[in-house]
Amino acid sequence: MRGLVRRGALVSALALALGLSRPAHADPYRLRVDTIVYSQSLQSPQSPQSPVGLIILQGDGKASPWVDAEGLVWAGNNSGNYDVLSALVRLHDPRNYVQLRLGRQMLTVGSLRPVHIDGADLRLRSPMGTSVEGFGGVPVEPQFGYRAYDWLAGGRVAQGIGPTTNLGVSYLQQREYGQLSYEEAGVDFALAPARWFDLAAHGTYNLIDAGLAEAGASLAGRFGDLRPEIYASQRSPSRLIPATSLFSALGDTPSDVFGATLKWRMFPRLDVLPIVAARETAGNVGVDGTLRVTLRLDDRGDGAISVEGRRQGSGPDQWTGARVTMRIPLSARVRCSTELELVAPDDPRGRGSLWPWGLLALRWMPVRHWEVAGAVEAASTATATRELNALARLSWAWEGK
Amino acid sequence: MKKLSLLLLFALLLVACAQLLGIRPPEKKPFPHHEHTAKGGVSCLQCHAGILNATDTGPLHLPTTATCVGCHKTPHDTHECKGCHGLDYVRDEAQMDLDHLKFKHSTHSKRLKDNCAYCHRGVETNSDHVRPTMALCLSCHEHQEDFTAARTCDRCHKDLRGEQVRPESHVAHDGDWLREHGNRAYSAPDLCSTCHADKFCGGCHGRTVPTLPEKLAFDDPMRAGVHRAGFVSRHSLEARTQPGLCSTCHTTGQFCEGCHAKNGVDVASGGRSPHPTGWVGLRGESNDHGPAAWADPSVCASCHTGAGESLCIGCHRVGAMGGSPHRPGWRSKMRPTIDQPCRSCHEGTP
Repeated sequence: MRGLVRRGALVSALALALGLSRPAHADPYRLRVDTIVYSQSLQSPQSPQSPVGLIILQGDGKASPWVDAEGLVWAGNNSGNYDVLSALVRLHDPRNYVQLRLGRQMLTVGSLRPVHIDGADLRLRSPMGTSVEGFGGVPVEPQFGYRAYDWLAGGRVAQGIGPTTNLGVSYLQQREYGQLSYEEAGVDFALAPARWFDLAAHGTYNLIDAGLAEAGASLAGRFGDLRPEIYASQRSPSRLIPATSLFSALGDTPSDVFGATLKWRMFPRLDVLPIVAARETAGNVGVDGTLRVTLRLDDRGDGAISVEGRRQGSGPDQWTGARVTMRIPLSARVRCSTELELVAPDDPRGRGSLWPWGLLALRWMPVRHWEVAGAVEAASTATATRELNALARLSWAWEGK
Repeated sequence: MKKLSLLLLFALLLVACAQLLGIRPPEKKPFPHHEHTAKGGVSCLQCHAGILNATDTGPLHLPTTATCVGCHKTPHDTHECKGCHGLDYVRDEAQMDLDHLKFKHSTHSKRLKDNCAYCHRGVETNSDHVRPTMALCLSCHEHQEDFTAARTCDRCHKDLRGEQVRPESHVAHDGDWLREHGNRAYSAPDLCSTCHADKFCGGCHGRTVPTLPEKLAFDDPMRAGVHRAGFVSRHSLEARTQPGLCSTCHTTGQFCEGCHAKNGVDVASGGRSPHPTGWVGLRGESNDHGPAAWADPSVCASCHTGAGESLCIGCHRVGAMGGSPHRPGWRSKMRPTIDQPCRSCHEGTP
């Protein structure tokens, strides 16, 4: 019954969007169809990239200044493998003081973890900078599955202080089979007092097993060609799995990270990005580091070469890796790209001491709206000594009024 | 001496690569606006006739070959002038502006007394980058106030999502944006949604994702993605290194079990146990599983959810030999003998 109601709500939402549409209006509509085919290696016949055949249809548009809608549906070649990622109608006044979203939607509300629901979300905003949001619905289950008495509800109250500061408080309660599965409250804060400085921070508190679930802060500056950032985060893994799991009852051993990045536009076409982070988990401290250098081959960055070295020195499984990526336009309609990666685990445990992975791809746009891409992917992985795959995509994109 | 040689070598290398690094302008010359206007005395309107009354519905008012041959009476070949003179992307940008911006030359020209160079500053330096930057627009238009008032960019942008451009200055997706984006998005969901539709966020965070964006756009290796390149090999290393990271998106039990069973790498399908010797033992013996489970319970949950939990319960239920698995100071508002998972161990206890 609930499934029927949910499907009915989705159909009604789409019908509302179509019913309110005015074809002569100047706002654009976009449609896109992607057809993707992946081959499957003989050595790992059920690779995680299945389904091996996939068709994705997506569209969005504004019917009027008051109504817009979007949707994405897909079907795979495996039987019964089809689903809806989003089917959403947004009703709002032109200045967005009131906004109601109906249908299948992705909600990122304050510092709450993102939730995918079939339901409704109402946002109210005042000219004084206060905003109130409330949402409720049924958590999305793949393949139109549903579980009785699953639902979630929550909201956020936020206050902007001038154009530079924002403070929000949010709450979420989720039930599985009627039993409390998640209950969390969060605080988010953002401050941008000048164009060269901004700060963002958040914290989420687990209300079922009282304790901090996740917290983070990022402080960034902008000084000409330099953008330094320092960040810190704490994540408690036992609080990120549903409270109905036995492992949520083990208690806290949070993972703490403190790191810094520095983006430096060394030359007009050359960017350098070093990242260093210290991570502490259960008393063990390790350091992770990445250095990425990106060279744009033209002013617009259509062509680019990126080289990246990475060392994961924290945690029980440490490894070193390197990656080279290239994107080279051969003509206005043809583009070639490659990606090569080498990973060397410190302790391979009999899975090969080096895991190379490579991809060579070609994209061709024969006529307007159409795009064809093909690629060959080769790897020697932890589970297969040799793996060769082919990938192909045919896309059609249309934008009209 | 050696240092000097190295310095010279570096300088030579820099000079050799100057073109590539963008230090020198490209060899292909842009359209010589300056030669025509300041030196040649040609007015802007002579080539861009009608531009002063142009609205946001077109046409573009770019000169055609016929316009050029009005002065250049003897062209050196029969091809269209734009084939060689001026850069293609400049025309593309002009078309993009027309398609996506609510901009009328007619209103601006009156206010600026027909001074084209006020906005098209590149004209004075003979550059083809004559398109005004957004920063230049903001020198007159109060962008921040507009956005704060309406939480939309619709005053100037017809359809920001359709433009598919990244903001140059005010919210550049700089640095390690993949890690940073969440922190920035928590307080600014309106700002994100001006460019990104729901399905964009859902493309990674959704429960019904058809395939990850980086897998869909396999021909663009520069696109950031959480599972790029040989992630299938790396996933166990990354999962152990960053506790809880997988469970921020995946319901670890169902997701991990499903894939491992399909690939025959779980114990039930004949795969080898990932646990070393001494993983489970009696008290006083080697017993590594406890600290490991405390450090990252989500890794345990990736295989041992559902029926697998009975393994834990066998030893750790109340009164059994395993003892309490809770860390010191553990408290919960769940009812021990009624709610799951508590009642698995506490059922029947007073």
